Amino acid sequence: MARSMSLALLLAIAALSSGCSVFQVRPWERESLARRDMAWDPDPLQAQVEAHIHFAKEASLAGSGGGGGGCGCN
Amino acid sequence: MRNRRARARGPTALLLLLLTLSLAGAAPAVQTGQPAPAVTGARLDGQGQLSLAGLRGKVVYLDFWASWCKPCALSLPTLDGFRKEFGSKDFAVLAVNVDHDPALARAFLSRRPVGYPSLFDPQGELPVRFGVETMPTSFLIDRQGVIRRVHKGFRKEDVPELHTAIQELIRSGR
Amino acid sequence: MAGITRRFRRAALRRRRPAWRGVPRGGALAALTTSSLALPGLAHAGEYGDLGYTAEYKYSKYTEDQVASSRVQSGSNDRYEIDIHQVHLAGPLTERISLDLNVTHESMSGATPFYVVPNQNGGNPLLVMTNATIDEARTAADLKGTLAFDRGSASLNGGVSVENDYLAISGGLGGERSFNEKNTTLSGGAGFSWDRIEPTDAESFGRNSEEQKQQGSLFVSLAQVMGRNAAIQGTLQYQVDHGFLDDPYKRAFVVSTSTPEPDTRPDLRNQFSFLARYRQHIPFLRGTLHADYRFYYDDWHIDAHTFEFAWYQMIWDSFRLIPSVRYYTQSQADFYAPYYANPQGNDLYSSDYRLSPYGSLTWRVKGETRFQIYNLDLLLNIAYERYTSSGNLAIQNVGTANPGLVDFDMFSVGISSRF
Repeated sequence: MARSMSLALLLAIAALSSGCSVFQVRPWERESLARRDMAWDPDPLQAQVEAHIHFAKEASLAGSGGGGGGCGCN
Repeated sequence: MRNRRARARGPTALLLLLLTLSLAGAAPAVQTGQPAPAVTGARLDGQGQLSLAGLRGKVVYLDFWASWCKPCALSLPTLDGFRKEFGSKDFAVLAVNVDHDPALARAFLSRRPVGYPSLFDPQGELPVRFGVETMPTSFLIDRQGVIRRVHKGFRKEDVPELHTAIQELIRSGR
Repeated sequence: MAGITRRFRRAALRRRRPAWRGVPRGGALAALTTSSLALPGLAHAGEYGDLGYTAEYKYSKYTEDQVASSRVQSGSNDRYEIDIHQVHLAGPLTERISLDLNVTHESMSGATPFYVVPNQNGGNPLLVMTNATIDEARTAADLKGTLAFDRGSASLNGGVSVENDYLAISGGLGGERSFNEKNTTLSGGAGFSWDRIEPTDAESFGRNSEEQKQQGSLFVSLAQVMGRNAAIQGTLQYQVDHGFLDDPYKRAFVVSTSTPEPDTRPDLRNQFSFLARYRQHIPFLRGTLHADYRFYYDDWHIDAHTFEFAWYQMIWDSFRLIPSVRYYTQSQADFYAPYYANPQGNDLYSSDYRLSPYGSLTWRVKGETRFQIYNLDLLLNIAYERYTSSGNLAIQNVGTANPGLVDFDMFSVGISSRF
């Protein structure tokens, strides 16, 4: 039991350190990811208004997370 | 006893494979001081073939770009400026476009034309060969075909440095 | 008793503040909703990422439905209308530093729920509304600076929000770092806000003339590219509110004493949320799917789920049609009730529909078009959304829905330019 769990953990670490190479996208293959419609918030002003309304009308927290994805340029 | 060892072999092999894969992507294929790998391909404008070997004797600025990469778009006029300034006897810009769909690259160039040609590599073989780590990436190659500078990314503040580097390589005449 | 309610109502005649006000857009909020804006290469500007300047303007008109007369005991039927103007300017200051400025101006008018009373005829409880205000306004500004590094960035922001009875000052910092050839990105941030409330006609409402509230928040986010056409992001967020958390313009009715008690909430609130976002581009359809899920929980025992789906459809080469749908459900705060049979031992009262159990459904449709004028790359967008909320839409069984639940329309039009 302990051995299979530690093996599983090692596999997970190896997978993460290899960057889940199944999913790894090379820097010159980021065409689709660079699209505006692939952004977390393609229209930040709309996201702000929506967050404001939802904060004012509902109980939830506003805020939408960080970066990542995109063109990866420079 | 034998069963336990047999069961451990599968996951261990997978672990080793993953570790190998993780190392595989990490090493850059080219560094300064090395001869540049071969570059050949068809021109985007359909006017034949281009190759790095055909430019031997000139200082070459090899630039990897794509229509979807905004810093690449910013660099195009600068590179065209270098081409005009340094003249075709001593200097050449060789651009490699990596758009998945070359039609997008042609459309891009029709809106922002430059005087130097691009070859297209939609399969992305050349970026792998050159170890491109970010878009855009350019390589300054001397008259003997040796890589003298690897330039990752593009920012306006880099232009004077690049300009000086090209000038020195041209003047050194080697 | 009647005298007390009459006095409250007279005071309510003069001014109104909805549960809209006082939302600072700086601090934690800005760090979260705008953290992707100023980063080089991120696809927020133009069709693909942009290193130049951005100028955007958006106008939104928010109109709540009138309340049905059958649901109102007294006060105005008209609910809130808000005109919102937003301006966003961004650009590089130096090669590695960029600035983002957001300015918002809102003007509002209308009536809002004051408290809820039982229905003498045994039907659903009734609303006591305020009378309609003529016109109030809020102006807010937030400035953010971002420093870009080789594989990441750091940002700092500050903001202020001003209304006639509300001042909020906020700030925050954030950062992100990419790994695995920028396939994996870790980001995080912290924010604070300090608010001062000076309720209008405080004395006649039996309130202090000045109250304060502080807010602190933290978030951590991990994003992973999932192949050439997909990406996923998970964010954990924590926020603590401390100080005056009541709504000074609301009451809660106690039947046994026939008294509308002032809205009184705990002076501490710990809130947690987890947000998962997924983006999938489908090349042969020329479209992209957005799927978001958020789970929320706080120590007032409200838990909420949000599901949002949007489809970005490319039409020809310069139009996009974007239908979307959002479902939301929340449970109630443990001290909430539409009205109270007897005075509460813990002295906590609130009949605010925002703390009640309900669900909401929003459907929205948006159209975008790109065009060029001289060197300017312009994007014009128009959107319409319809939001409805009710006890029936909640995931759990809701006994008595708050009669103050609101439905609204929102129309917006915006223009964005890059140069």
